Amino acid sequence: MLRRSRVWAILLLGVAFALGDGGYNINILDPATSNNREVSKLLWWVMGFAAVIFVVVIGAMTYIVLKFKKRGNEVGEPPQFHGNDRLEITWTLIPFLIVCVIFGLTARGMFEISQVPPDAMPVKVTAHLFWWDFEYPEQGIRTSNELILPVNRPVNFEITSNEAGPAKPVIHSFRVASLAGTQDAIPGIVTTRWFKPEKEGVYYGQCAELCGASHSNMRFRVIVVSQAEFDRFVQGAKAFQATTPADPVAAKGQQLFNAQCTACHAINNTQYRSKIGPDLTFFGNRLTLGAGIWNNTPERLEAWIKNSPGMKPGSLMPPFPQLSAEDARSIAAYLESLKVEGLDFSKLPKF
Amino acid sequence: MAVTAPTKPTAPAGFWAHLWDMMTTTDHKKIGIFYLAGSFFFFGLAGLMAVAIRLQLATPNGTLLVGDAYNQMLTMHGATMLFFFIIPAGLSGFGNFILPLMLGERDVALPRINSFAAWLWLFSGIIIYHSLFFGGAPDVGWTFYYPFSTTRPGHGTDLFMVGVILLGLSSLLGSANFAATVYNLRTKGLSLWKMPIFVWGIFATSMLSLFALAGITAASLLVYLDRHLGLTLFNPANGGDPVLFQQFFWFYSHPAVYIMLLPYLGIAAEVASTFAKKPVFGYRFMVFALVGIAVVGFLVWAHHMFTVGESLLFQLVFVFFTALVAVPTGVKIFSLLGTLWGGQLEFKTPLLFVMGFLFNFLLGGITGVMLAVVPFDYSVHDSYFVVAHFHNVLMAGSGFLAFAGLYYWWPKITGRTYSEQWGRLHFWFFLVGYLLTFMPQYVLGFLGMPRRYYTYPDGNYLWNEMNFVSTIGAILLAVGGIFWLIGMIDSFRRNQKAADNPWGGYTLEWATTSPPPAYNFAVRFPTSFPSERPLYDWPREGLKMQPDDPSHVHLPVPTVWPFMTALGLTVAGVGLALDWASSWPVILAGALVFVYSLFQWAITWEYDHPVEHHTVTGKSNAWVGMAWFIVSEIALFAILIAGYLYLRLTGAAVPPETRPPVWLALLNTFFLVTSSFVVHYAHHDLRLNRPNPFRFGLLITIILGFVFFLFQSYEFLNFHSHSSWQENVWTAAFFIIVGLHGLHVVIGGTGLSLVYYQALHRRLSPSQHGTLEAASMYWHLVDAVWLFIVSIFYLW
Repeated sequence: MLRRSRVWAILLLGVAFALGDGGYNINILDPATSNNREVSKLLWWVMGFAAVIFVVVIGAMTYIVLKFKKRGNEVGEPPQFHGNDRLEITWTLIPFLIVCVIFGLTARGMFEISQVPPDAMPVKVTAHLFWWDFEYPEQGIRTSNELILPVNRPVNFEITSNEAGPAKPVIHSFRVASLAGTQDAIPGIVTTRWFKPEKEGVYYGQCAELCGASHSNMRFRVIVVSQAEFDRFVQGAKAFQATTPADPVAAKGQQLFNAQCTACHAINNTQYRSKIGPDLTFFGNRLTLGAGIWNNTPERLEAWIKNSPGMKPGSLMPPFPQLSAEDARSIAAYLESLKVEGLDFSKLPKF
Repeated sequence: MAVTAPTKPTAPAGFWAHLWDMMTTTDHKKIGIFYLAGSFFFFGLAGLMAVAIRLQLATPNGTLLVGDAYNQMLTMHGATMLFFFIIPAGLSGFGNFILPLMLGERDVALPRINSFAAWLWLFSGIIIYHSLFFGGAPDVGWTFYYPFSTTRPGHGTDLFMVGVILLGLSSLLGSANFAATVYNLRTKGLSLWKMPIFVWGIFATSMLSLFALAGITAASLLVYLDRHLGLTLFNPANGGDPVLFQQFFWFYSHPAVYIMLLPYLGIAAEVASTFAKKPVFGYRFMVFALVGIAVVGFLVWAHHMFTVGESLLFQLVFVFFTALVAVPTGVKIFSLLGTLWGGQLEFKTPLLFVMGFLFNFLLGGITGVMLAVVPFDYSVHDSYFVVAHFHNVLMAGSGFLAFAGLYYWWPKITGRTYSEQWGRLHFWFFLVGYLLTFMPQYVLGFLGMPRRYYTYPDGNYLWNEMNFVSTIGAILLAVGGIFWLIGMIDSFRRNQKAADNPWGGYTLEWATTSPPPAYNFAVRFPTSFPSERPLYDWPREGLKMQPDDPSHVHLPVPTVWPFMTALGLTVAGVGLALDWASSWPVILAGALVFVYSLFQWAITWEYDHPVEHHTVTGKSNAWVGMAWFIVSEIALFAILIAGYLYLRLTGAAVPPETRPPVWLALLNTFFLVTSSFVVHYAHHDLRLNRPNPFRFGLLITIILGFVFFLFQSYEFLNFHSHSSWQENVWTAAFFIIVGLHGLHVVIGGTGLSLVYYQALHRRLSPSQHGTLEAASMYWHLVDAVWLFIVSIFYLW
């Protein structure tokens, strides 16, 4: 499907599009969750009614254009009728009835999708300028920008917006298009949304409320893995220790990191616990960089460390022009060494 | 100004003479052209911004407009299209030019207010665009959500807020003027139920504006106050609620969607009827539908807020009314089809645009109902599906009808014919360009692309392709726009005189020359109106229009003071948007010009010859205009007080230990209530032609108001010294609402002073004193609001 459309596009436009950091098959009707199946069902109903109305109106329009176009051989004026009460009442009542049916279906659908299963796992989502923070209160883990979830387990998100630093929090909106609907992240208020992912994969998440220069660069990933793999992640995360790396380059990176970066960034089980910036505990496991913008490669990471606002407009992480290329490389090496072993998400399908 | 008829063609006047004429005119036709020229210019400007946006999004990772620059562009595109094209073109542009003609009248009810509103409209646009020189255009979206809009540096957002507030004032005055015109000025025998549908459209729209506009005024005022003083009801840090901003904002901005639609539905009905050579089908149902849309339109605002986490019940109410709006909207579509059915259709450009509208509006209506299905709305909220939907109803809906109206009335307004070839090219490029731009955006909505993104990654399924096609569509639209421009220039260059009634239209604007003379009609109309189509009915009933000598017609005298008043207000507004510490001379200069011009305006005779005006209701135009305007003032206080009550009842707003003293408030109540009685008796004295007691009573009223204001200021300073609105949202609400009332005392007092000044210059008489009626009505309002405020802030 993907390939065929691409060939089609190349033929049609004469432009070859290369696969980049995207490559996601995002689809709001992806049957991966009960939410989306409910949406599809409702949509079929509405589209059924819409098709009837569409055929009637467009049919009438076509007939009018063909039949009543002035040809110049008309005699006298057209019939001067002012209306037809019965017809008018009919075309008021029928849409009204359709509206009532749609309202009933919608109300039922809203009720269905608002029922949070009692066994749902809570996850706290905090939106920041321009990144996402996730906490698992049950497991006592924090992670940023990439959320790892077990398949077939309902998750209830408690969503808000806040800033630990001097910036003033604004409204963002939490959205994983292929899994569930949008929910706003509002300062001072906690909103909720839940879903149960039924298919393993990496899901594309986005901010859906204009929040500043990098509104479009405020992405994230939801990585849905098997229960076994999730358990491995939780255990690895809890036991995580940031030991001094054996590699001397990374070891130097650790020193630089602790001196330069820990005012904002936290590493699990260390003294560095600031929440101003994203948690970097499992950075080596990350697929992406800069809040889901680029694939996580050392070259981009080094450039990011040196000049984050240059790569991402409005990024609150200051540029570090004083760092040499070598320094940046060693910090990057240290960050890539921070990982839970035995996890690889890069082969998962992308939705 | 007495009319010298027939006017002789004079040598073409120079640019400055034209400008002076525009600055001083009170002619509804010139003001209509002013709005039309302005709003179609803004359409072109915002259209170019749209093309820039599409060029940025043509390919992934574009670099043309990045970050804040893109946000500025999308904000200005949206704000310009909505506030400076689609609202004013139909309501103020066509409304001003056509409505008095359709009513068979010589002008609108309040011609000088009309001129003031027109200039204030343009100036508020200039204020907003001014921001380019003060740290960049606003970049918060036309929706300026709180708290985002309070975090942006520079003065772009401040100027935007001030512009929106002044624009609101202009819009309210314009709407009150239309409502008063429809109420008071109809040619003899023309009852409400025989008015053309277009007039109903303007009337319903004006009522919508008057009831709803307060929402955006409250929202922008509080954002402005927060940016300058930290004074707001929305800040969660002191117990405020950011979602309340959205309630305020959408309380206006959803009904505004119908403000953007109803005048155009009127145009569609007129065009369909004329080109089918038939009456509109189901006149009564069409009017019911217009009014129905206006009423139900008030109960749907929260469908913009399904994702803020409100309760299920709250959402369900809004789902129902949102879906319900589809019923009257459907009636409009069916009635238009019924009007065309059986006709002899001439597919000239105006009708083509109406057909394009029907097709696209149907799509927009269907996708609108889809969005009312909340689970689906959650999935596509703030995605390109929404972008495609509202362009479907606004651009290919209202926008197409704006062009239908432009081509339809072009011969009447300019007195020239246009070329159908260019018109057709314009239409087809717009239709195909439109579909190519926005149909892929529906697909992008299903594929999860959010709106207001300046960039997207390479390679998400079909994102590259759909965006590229969409950009090609935008370029076709731009080409269509060029054909439109060529068509207009061509019309002026060929300079071919248009017939008085080139389409065989049935309404009274076709009963005069093209373009109409200053006095509109040189005929007297029969007083029998069997249907909404007088020009069809009269010849068949043997009724004739009697020639009338226009030399006895008296029109309002041109005056520059409305322009100067608007200018003063604008300068003061710019000063208020900037840093007060350094901009106070600007504020002061603007305020002086404003007040001086206002007083000059008050003593300038409206007519150079005493004229008695017949009005339908028997009330003065000023009285009716003020009565409608007051609706909007009540709405403004009602909205803010509703916000306060919400915060108070949910326990967020808790009064501090020491509140402002009750005894002072009660003393002030005594002053204000007394002043209301005094002004009432003063009015009585004037009617009995006792000028000295009248003037004395008026003076006492003003003094009482002033004493009230002094006491209030003392109380404010005193309370401010030992309280903080940044820590307590009750205190914030107190200063906002009581302060706004204080501002109204100043406005009301100024109004009374203007009347006093008029009395000193002998401008009032027992039969001609509309300004006193208006000013005292306003003063009673100030009084009534105060009684509410005393009970909810001082006693409760």
